[in-house]
Amino acid sequence: MSDYDVIVVGAGLGGLSTGALAAKNGFKTLILEQSDIIGGCCSTFESNGYKFDVGASIVEVIQPLDSLFEMLGGKRSDYMDLIPCDPIYSFITDDGKRFSYPTDIGACTKVIEDIAPGDVEGWNSFCSMGLTMIEDMMDAVMLSPMNTFGEAMKLALKNPQIMKFAPTFLRTHQGVVKSFYKDPVMLQSVAFQSYFAGAPPELGSGVFGYIALSEHLGIYYPRGGMIGIPAGIMKAGEEHGMEVRTCVKVEKLLIENGTAFGVRLEDGSEITAKIIVSNLNAQVTYLKLVGPDRLPPWMVKGIASYTQSMPCPMIYVGLDKKPELEAHHTIVTSSIESMNDVWNNYYKLNLIPDTAMSLVCWPTEADPSLAPEGKHILNFLCNAPAPYAPLGDNWDRLKGWYKEQAIKELERYVLPDVRDHIEYIEVSTPLDFERRLLHPQGGIYGLFSDMTSLAMFRPRSRSKAIRNLYLTGSSTHLGGGVPTTIASGIVTSKYLIEDHG
Amino acid sequence: MKMFKRLMLLVVIAGLIVAWTQSSESTKRYIIHIGKQVPSLPYRYFV
Repeated sequence: MSDYDVIVVGAGLGGLSTGALAAKNGFKTLILEQSDIIGGCCSTFESNGYKFDVGASIVEVIQPLDSLFEMLGGKRSDYMDLIPCDPIYSFITDDGKRFSYPTDIGACTKVIEDIAPGDVEGWNSFCSMGLTMIEDMMDAVMLSPMNTFGEAMKLALKNPQIMKFAPTFLRTHQGVVKSFYKDPVMLQSVAFQSYFAGAPPELGSGVFGYIALSEHLGIYYPRGGMIGIPAGIMKAGEEHGMEVRTCVKVEKLLIENGTAFGVRLEDGSEITAKIIVSNLNAQVTYLKLVGPDRLPPWMVKGIASYTQSMPCPMIYVGLDKKPELEAHHTIVTSSIESMNDVWNNYYKLNLIPDTAMSLVCWPTEADPSLAPEGKHILNFLCNAPAPYAPLGDNWDRLKGWYKEQAIKELERYVLPDVRDHIEYIEVSTPLDFERRLLHPQGGIYGLFSDMTSLAMFRPRSRSKAIRNLYLTGSSTHLGGGVPTTIASGIVTSKYLIEDHG
Repeated sequence: MKMFKRLMLLVVIAGLIVAWTQSSESTKRYIIHIGKQVPSLPYRYFV
């Protein structure tokens, strides 16, 4: 007799979504989280009276979130308050141009008429093609299992309209955006998003080329910080009997005759369950929690062949003055060639890039309660990838260097006297992300996402090597990002219920 | 027939060489990157 029906290792968005849906379907469910806070990368921590977001800074494409709450028998709005953020971005380009993209597509067209009049036609085609694609893919693909060629074929036969988008998956992010736009400034504004999927524009999948459009469906910030999303899912799950324990580290999965039946904790105690779901990175799950000795050789070769997405240091800043910004997100961007150059001539050679490519997030614009009265927060994400093992350097020294770089950029673009108004500043390095979130090499976007590691070539939600083991989260089918990670949780729960319901 | 097949093969190889030399550095890097991943695909499919 097992202690639980389902144990979920990790309380990230994927783990919480799978756990809540399992509980709703009558499974006695326990979630074990090694950290003292839930949410993984989509979380918020408090320091010196400021509430900083760990990594994720907004949620866009909220349909998976709405679907999750519908499946849980509730309404998303009863569990979290999502504040719309408009404009989507404010841009500062390498030649000093500043402009903002409003959410409304019509209003955005007017901005593009000003900055790149020759690309208005391209923008209209991009919108027309992209909106159809997003609508068709959302309904047909996003929440559907697609771990095998058979499942992919079934999806294609059921939804033949999605076949016209197949070439997009074979193209690169750069290939897609360059087919619509010519103007260098316009290209900058739609190319940097490839780094949100952990790859440079010349390597990232073409499907991410449409992120720049999906943002126009609305971007939102949860009141109280990004932790509002996992907290809402946890609350809904707990209403169905789901149990969550924090500060509990799982050391090993218990496996006998190729079947998972429980977990061994760091203190040596064991908890048994009929089904184990791992929300950890797939490489950590298989190579550490399961162990290569319990896996067939082809499986070890396959899982070891994946590379992690890039790490990006984050700098958390508390200010006693309002920053001079226009939007929740300000992007300091550079040319598409420079975005690729950072990858090829710095990151791949383990060098620290000196290019300014950053995302400045201003959450207190949407929710002033995150900081003491009259004060503000800036979360500064270095969008240029930083190597996990910098050549001839170490992250303890680089912490100080990154702080100084962030201050210099803020002085240049945001607040000239920012140095006099910083009350708090801290850096999260790739090593910190690896320790806190268990993301190997600090790769915050899960596994590297190109056409050879997506869909059925990404680790399966239902393990093929270990019976009763399921995987969810950013390294599984659908990949990183708030909506896709929630979708991965829904997909995993579908397999679990199909097999054991 | 044998001659024709050899000729076709030569045309294809010549076409690939021309396409490669005319590709941008970016495209070449993409092709090399994907080429390195392809041998792993049969293993990845079963992970």
